[in-house]
Amino acid sequence: MTVRRAVERLLALVRRRRLDRELENEILAHLELAERDAMARGLSPEEARRAARRRFGGIDQMKEEHRDQRSFRWIETLLRDLRYGLAALRRAPGFTAIVVSVLALGIGANVAMFSVVDAALLKPLPFPQPDRIVRLWEAPQPGVLNATSAPDFLDWKRLANTVFEALSAEQSISVALTDKDGATRLSGKAVTADYFQVFSTRAQLGRTFAPEEDQPGAAPMIVLSHAAWQSDFGGDPDILHRHPILDGVPHQVIGVLPPGAFDRDETRFWKPLVFTPDQQVRDIHWLTVYGRLRGGVTAAQAGERMQAIHAALTETRSIEDRKATIVVAPLARLLVGAGLQRSIYVAFGAVALVLLIACANTVNLLLAKAASRGRELAVRAALGASRGRLIAQLLTESMVLCLLGGVAGIALAALLIRVATPIWADSLPFTADVKLDLRVLSFAGVVALGVALLAGTFPALRASFSNVAESLNRSVRGSSGAHARLRRAIVIGEVALSLVLVCGALLLFRSLLKLQQLDTGVRIENVITMSVDLPPGAYPTPQKAALFYRAMAQRLQAAPGVSQVGLSTVLPLQWISNGEGILVPGIPEQVHVRFKRVDPGYFRALGIPVLAGRGITGQDNDGTPRVMVINQALAARLAEVARMKDPVGKVVRVSTPGYLETRVFIPEVEIVGVIRSERVSSPGDSDPPVVYVPLAQAPSPQVKLLIRTGAEMAVAMPAIREAVREIDPNLPLGDVETMQQVRDRTLSGASRPAGLIGAFAAIAVLLAGIGLYGVLSHTVTLQRREIGIRMALGAGATEVLSHVLRNALSMVAVGLGLGLLATFALTRVMKNLLFEVSPLDPVALTVACVSIALIGLLAGFLPARRAASLDPVETLREEG
Amino acid sequence: MSAIDMSKPQSEVPYGTLDLLILKTLEAMGPLHGYAISRRIEQVSGDSLQLSQGSVHPALIRLEQEGWIRTDWGISETNRKVKFYSLTRAGKKQLLVEVANWEKATALVAHFLESMS
Repeated sequence: MTVRRAVERLLALVRRRRLDRELENEILAHLELAERDAMARGLSPEEARRAARRRFGGIDQMKEEHRDQRSFRWIETLLRDLRYGLAALRRAPGFTAIVVSVLALGIGANVAMFSVVDAALLKPLPFPQPDRIVRLWEAPQPGVLNATSAPDFLDWKRLANTVFEALSAEQSISVALTDKDGATRLSGKAVTADYFQVFSTRAQLGRTFAPEEDQPGAAPMIVLSHAAWQSDFGGDPDILHRHPILDGVPHQVIGVLPPGAFDRDETRFWKPLVFTPDQQVRDIHWLTVYGRLRGGVTAAQAGERMQAIHAALTETRSIEDRKATIVVAPLARLLVGAGLQRSIYVAFGAVALVLLIACANTVNLLLAKAASRGRELAVRAALGASRGRLIAQLLTESMVLCLLGGVAGIALAALLIRVATPIWADSLPFTADVKLDLRVLSFAGVVALGVALLAGTFPALRASFSNVAESLNRSVRGSSGAHARLRRAIVIGEVALSLVLVCGALLLFRSLLKLQQLDTGVRIENVITMSVDLPPGAYPTPQKAALFYRAMAQRLQAAPGVSQVGLSTVLPLQWISNGEGILVPGIPEQVHVRFKRVDPGYFRALGIPVLAGRGITGQDNDGTPRVMVINQALAARLAEVARMKDPVGKVVRVSTPGYLETRVFIPEVEIVGVIRSERVSSPGDSDPPVVYVPLAQAPSPQVKLLIRTGAEMAVAMPAIREAVREIDPNLPLGDVETMQQVRDRTLSGASRPAGLIGAFAAIAVLLAGIGLYGVLSHTVTLQRREIGIRMALGAGATEVLSHVLRNALSMVAVGLGLGLLATFALTRVMKNLLFEVSPLDPVALTVACVSIALIGLLAGFLPARRAASLDPVETLREEG
Repeated sequence: MSAIDMSKPQSEVPYGTLDLLILKTLEAMGPLHGYAISRRIEQVSGDSLQLSQGSVHPALIRLEQEGWIRTDWGISETNRKVKFYSLTRAGKKQLLVEVANWEKATALVAHFLESMS
């Protein structure tokens, strides 16, 4: 076919009406002329008309041929079927609404979930050549991640430039931003100058750091994130000439980043990381290192090179240093942890099941519809429509339904994403931009098409295979036959699938309940927490900080609505990232411990019992001998490695970080008490050994306030702020939250999808119930005559009722059986998400089975009651 | 022409021949309407061709889409507005191609029959 003709044929689709009209006219003219000629040959008008028709041939065949020639007939047919399908759907608005909303639920949930999966797991990171961005760390043992010291980082940077285009170190910081309205806290990062080369990000306004700007003596300057520029600085167009005061020092804003990934991170600004002489120590590991690989270099190759560099650098150092591995891992794989990944996949699996159930329901509804349309289809078949044409038409109809469902689903997904983004934003990495983009829309299209094929094929095939004569003969009755069997099978499948979902949801809920009851070793009711960061300018010495903390605790204790106050460098129920070592006389290796600095009020405010010796008191300060309290886990560890039965009174050496300098002291410290271990990580992990050092003896510029209030936490907040302002008006309070929130974050992480999966399970059960109801109610309609006869023969209403209910229960029972098998197979994947709940928890399984059976009974009861209330005389007469 | 496939009533003339007949008719007679074309083909071929007159219309739309013939509106002998078809320049070329093809094919068949007898 020539191109010209193909174009003409496509155009003919649009001109279909006009071309048909012209053809009609041509035929009329042709016949008129033929008649005229025939009459001229002497035929009568009647004979002439007949002769003309005869000579012309089959008019309808010719028209079909004409359409075939002038256009692509399958497209014309498709368009006609679409029109016809839409008309049919308009005639049955109730049916259409149900199917479309069922599909919209299934498709919408899947599309929303896919947008999360896509953003968090599938899409490349939103930076140029994202696969070249890596993170580097030292692993003293496999699986352990150690930060990097400044000299190591500088050595790496100097020696590894054959494999890295840029290598940058980062340290999270937090500063007080002061302006005329007071002080606010701003999270930021101190980074070496080529940080933005690693992420290949340029400034939108101004510039990022120049190479020499992380050297000593450089002027104070910052780069702002777009979000910080907009919210903290009101989008001031003159921002590059402003000098905001951070921790009392004016900083020049040299650039603003473009909007994007960095806006979703909590980092609001970046400043150059300038190494002071006392930070240039090898045994303080504090930096996070990111690199951009050179083109063509793989992470594995870079890893080999780094290992060689490490070997050369540590030749003269301790065995412990030398045996460490240097890990170079693509950033993309690090951002989503295994737990989150599992949660996302389990939730995605759950919505996939919901979609499957929605499909099953749609098939069921379409089958019911096809059954009631059997007569119409039979008539069309009798009039010469081929089986192919009927199938095509029915498929087109279900396609229209699914496309409508898809469009509604996309709208629903957009809504879900809008509503849920603030909720899940915290758990997703900052690089994940969850939105309805082209990728998600194509996914929606594929799902809708797949559903259309899956849901449309069965009913179409079934409908067109049914015997024409049988369908035309209305006396055929009863619920038997392949058609009814298929519908029953579908309902059974739905029951089975919803059982899997309900079990999954119940398991997660039970796990959440167990977590709620978990004894964490701390009392957190009515405890508010907030963070305090002392600006080094105003608090240059540890003594000043210690005085401030003491004054603040006393002042807060007196504030109205406050019952107890405690201070700590790390929140309870939160992992203590600060690791140190203690040296016990007589054993060569140091004992690794977690390190926490607390004030005298901490143990009391959180109800942590002292098991032996004493807690920390107000007398433990700068002028008194150094003491510490250890937890049970450390006591056990000391008993194991140092045969130290009673640690109280023993003296050990503890590496202790300094106040502002990163230098570490290793003073002698007396163990004065043992407390019961408090939980610091998610359930399942055992308690790590922890030392508690008096805050007054080793102050830190950053502490967390823990305040137990009266019944109404919110009431105490103004008094708390006022109390802090009285002592230092320039000090902002940040990260205000309740301990309950901290607890939920730490403990429920793994079981978090419970609510989500619970909602999906509810939808699934609802859909299965609708499916069951549909099938039974259709069966009852078909069996009216049979029921009528039985009742005429003396069957009572209860008998009829129980007959229909038995029918329902048999389906539910088979479905539950199959569902249990599937549950056994599937809930195993949830094992890591469950806390102290077996994937085969009998309580969850029983509750799930019983609730589904109840819903099945309810779905069966309505049609059953209708059957029982039939008037036999009426039914039989009506069928006549 | 006894072996006609009845399921394809449109190919009562050898496949592709109808195009040739229509193009040739238009070349010889100038602009004609559909009825006149079918009459002319009938008259020239006498009883030897079993052509339903209607089947020229699908052929005409195809030839028009190919750009070989052009349509103009005119008035029929019964005073109705009808399409008059005439040969385009491309159509004239196509006619030469079709005639050449036809001659090649018949020569081949003739040669074949001769050499087999």
